Amino acid sequence: MPHFQTRDFGDIEYCEDAVIEFPAGLPGFEQEKRFLPIEHAASKPIVFLQSLSRAGLCFITLPVRALAPDYSLALSPEDLELLSFGEARPEIGRDTLCLAIVSVAEGKPPTANLLAPIVVNMAARRAVQSIQAESGYSHRHPVLPAPGVNACS
Amino acid sequence: MLVIRRRAGESVLIGDEIEVQVTEIGPTRVKLCIRAPKEVLVMRKEIKLTREENLAAAQELQLESVMELARRIQSGG
Repeated sequence: MPHFQTRDFGDIEYCEDAVIEFPAGLPGFEQEKRFLPIEHAASKPIVFLQSLSRAGLCFITLPVRALAPDYSLALSPEDLELLSFGEARPEIGRDTLCLAIVSVAEGKPPTANLLAPIVVNMAARRAVQSIQAESGYSHRHPVLPAPGVNACS
Repeated sequence: MLVIRRRAGESVLIGDEIEVQVTEIGPTRVKLCIRAPKEVLVMRKEIKLTREENLAAAQELQLESVMELARRIQSGG
C-alpha cells in the first residue's frame, strides 16, 4: 500500500481507491490535485482532507448538512463535467459528498465556507470546489451558534 | 464609487485597455463581456473570497482546537 509522510498525522498508509482527485485543484491551491479524506471517531463529524503532494496541507472540513440541514446544490455544466457526473443530477447524500472548508483561526470563532463547498462524486472519486453564488450562503458561515443563544431568559 | 446605468449592448471603459460590455440582461442576472489585457486578472469575486478563505484555512492544524471544535459540534454548541 502506498504511504505518505504528513505533518499533522505522521506517516500514513492509504488505499489508492480512497484518494479523491481534484482535476482543477482548489482556488489558491491549483496544483494540489490529490487529497485523502481522513476521519477519526473522536473528531466526528470533521473530515480532514490531506493533500498527497504537500505534507503540510490539510484542510478541516464539515459536511454542509451538519451546518445547514437544507443546503442544496446547483452545479454549473463545467463543474458537472469536472466531476464526471454526465447527465446525472447529483443530490447531496446520493453518491455525492458535500464538504465545507473550515477556518479555525486563533482568537476568532470558526467559520465554514458555504459559498464554495467541496463537492465529491463518490463513485468517480472526483471533486471540485464549486462556487454556489446563488445559494445565499456566506464564505464565513459561523460553525457554532453565537454565544448567548442558549442563555436562560 | 461610480454608478452607471447601461442597456444591453452598451459598454463601460476602464482606463484605455479594459472594456466591460453588457451583452444580455435576464430576469435575475446579466451577462458581461470583458475585454482586458492578458496580464489583468479577471475573476468572479466569489473565487477571490474562496481563495483567501482556502489560504487562511490551510494554516497549521492545532489538533487541540480541532478536537475542541468537534466536541462542541457534537454537543450542539
